[in-house]
Amino acid sequence: MMGPEFRRYLWLELTPRRIVFMVAILALVFFAAAVSGPSWTPYSAAETIYYLIVVIWGARNAGLSIVNEIRDRTWDLQRLSSIGAAEMALGKLFGSTIYNWFGGAICLAVMLVYGFAHGTPGSTILDFIYYVIVGLVAQAAALLASLVAIRRRSVHSRLDVFLYQLLGVIAAVAVAYVWEAADPESALLLGRKSTDVIPWWGALVSARPFLLLSLAIFAGWILTGCYREMRRELKMENGPLVWVGFLVFSGLYVAGFDAWLPHEAVMANWNVIALRLALASTTFAALTYAMVLLEPKDRVLYRWYAGQIISGRISRAFGRLQAWLIAYGAAVLITIVLIWWLFAKGFGAFYPAIAVAGLGFLTRDVSIFVFFSATRRGDFAAIVSLFALYVLIPAILEGVGLKNMLPFFYPTPSNPVWLGPAVVWVEASIALGLAASRITLGGKRMISGPSRS
Amino acid sequence: MIEVRDLVYEYPAKRALEGISLTVPPQTIVALVGPNGAGKTTLLRCLAALEPPYSGLVTIDGLDTREHPREIHTRLGYLPDFYGLYDELTVRRCLTYAAWSHGIAAAAVDGAITKAAERVGLSDRMESRAGDLSRGLRQRLGIGQAIVHEPKVLLLDEPAAGLDPQARRDLSILLISLRDAGMTLVVSSHILAELEDYCSEMIIIEDGKVVGGRPIKVKDVERPRYLIEIATARADFGDFLKEAGIDVMEVDEHHALITHTRNAAARAKLVRDLVTAGFEVSSFGESSRALEEAYFSQVGKGAA
Repeated sequence: MMGPEFRRYLWLELTPRRIVFMVAILALVFFAAAVSGPSWTPYSAAETIYYLIVVIWGARNAGLSIVNEIRDRTWDLQRLSSIGAAEMALGKLFGSTIYNWFGGAICLAVMLVYGFAHGTPGSTILDFIYYVIVGLVAQAAALLASLVAIRRRSVHSRLDVFLYQLLGVIAAVAVAYVWEAADPESALLLGRKSTDVIPWWGALVSARPFLLLSLAIFAGWILTGCYREMRRELKMENGPLVWVGFLVFSGLYVAGFDAWLPHEAVMANWNVIALRLALASTTFAALTYAMVLLEPKDRVLYRWYAGQIISGRISRAFGRLQAWLIAYGAAVLITIVLIWWLFAKGFGAFYPAIAVAGLGFLTRDVSIFVFFSATRRGDFAAIVSLFALYVLIPAILEGVGLKNMLPFFYPTPSNPVWLGPAVVWVEASIALGLAASRITLGGKRMISGPSRS
Repeated sequence: MIEVRDLVYEYPAKRALEGISLTVPPQTIVALVGPNGAGKTTLLRCLAALEPPYSGLVTIDGLDTREHPREIHTRLGYLPDFYGLYDELTVRRCLTYAAWSHGIAAAAVDGAITKAAERVGLSDRMESRAGDLSRGLRQRLGIGQAIVHEPKVLLLDEPAAGLDPQARRDLSILLISLRDAGMTLVVSSHILAELEDYCSEMIIIEDGKVVGGRPIKVKDVERPRYLIEIATARADFGDFLKEAGIDVMEVDEHHALITHTRNAAARAKLVRDLVTAGFEVSSFGESSRALEEAYFSQVGKGAA
């Protein structure tokens, strides 16, 4: 923890002048809260300031920790050091936010003292744990967002940094939401129903421990993500196993929620296993979309994959597969199992045809992302294209009375049943071919300086 | 110390390095020169294990950059062309952070930063803020950070850019002292005149390839470069020299750039042979701008 990076931040962030400034400002705020009346107590003031300092400002500092190194041209110096990936990630996470945590610690101390003084030690300690988790998750999510983003570009605007911060704050809001759902007292105060039990994999599990454990596990995954992205920055190979582990975990976690099983399908007497397979497949497809948007579409790497596969070194290529490709593979695998299961259980061709079409749409869409990656603002162009394919064209078709063509543009039953999937796969093949044509190296040679990798 | 075999590096739409092969022996200073955009910086970043090769092999001290990047980082110092310093920190703290981050044991940190500061001539500036230093002193601090862990290999990308003549001279002296201390240096630069002071070999990169296919000896004490000039043009000038067993680098009908032993009697014999063969020798002297001549004789001809 007290690695070189953390110690450097101590020099920069915790200067005597800044410490005195923070203590003085907070003392004034708490004093004002204490004398201002019952509506604004030192506890509520500490709570508000904690969110401002640790969650909002802390997420910004975490998001800036690497962006600043790149901006100040010191990142190469750090990448060439002997600092390990975990030490660097933790040094950045806790070092860049040490001033925020200093202020946050004062707020937490006020909350603890106030809570104990008012005779609620149990909930005070639980709140203390919550506040630490919410701050940590916000900052780690912002750091992870910035680490993913620096693989894509070397220049980061203020808007980019704001987006990393925003992702951190959204993660914190998600934590707060889950905490509320698990806390009967808070839910009551907000006028919402709290959840006592959650049906998961057919069993009724107590909501609070389940949700708290879920939070802890997802916080662990975020930290793992930071560590692995840092490894990549330090030029260490990651291998696919951890991401595969995350996919398996996500698939099992999401597929377990009985409340999310599609009601119509339940009514149609679907086999529960098929429903869970559909949930897992949808999760993997969602992760494929998320990762193909986030990861750089590295055409050099794709050419390298092709070279390795052609020369028979498939395991070597698999070892460096991008996350979206692995998620796509998982989605394909689970969907094939689902289709087989539906046929085996005698559900006919209706649902399998929709599943086949769904896979075709996924293949077409990721191909569109890869195709546009060769252009400036490629992701934006891809998103606009998908908006046209999923929204504009279907709206026009409906308007001119060609509803029977809708299955060619989003997963919906067609007549005859296999016509829709067939057309979708033709679209996917064309998109795939176009993407492949963009991956190959052009004949024109031009040498330029390196973009940041 | 550094081996590069058939190195290919690609950007998404372009190939930046195409089949580069070179060897840098230990304890030498090799210059990397070439036009802007030739691929020098990309090559240095590949050597620093910051960019993985598309294909080919790069080894530093026997370690493959693809397989052992982190081990290589411990043996390497690298100063990019555009580098940054922690402006808010003092020179002492900048060097201390560099020492910590290179894993130098706590007990050895003070000794390491003192030595690095002495080497780069910053001992009297230890308490100055990095942000307050002049460009030349910042350059020294950058090099000080890169050598604090006594790397075996030091890669410098345009280290003399923007320095005044005195600072360039100091830089030359510093680089020679680092080589004498056992380091292997690869220096990318545009300023050929300074390179001649400290480089033993020059590698010209153009369009992502090594021009001529091999390094060029910059300075050979035993066999310096000589420029011969004849008053009357002779088409057979080059052929005559080659038949006489002379190592001809460049030749036209009036001039020849050769390498030749420093031995006075041997040089006198060559002049005598030329005169006997009817060549009107008007000048025979050691070339003072050998590196520049070698560079311009190669660049633009296309790579091997």
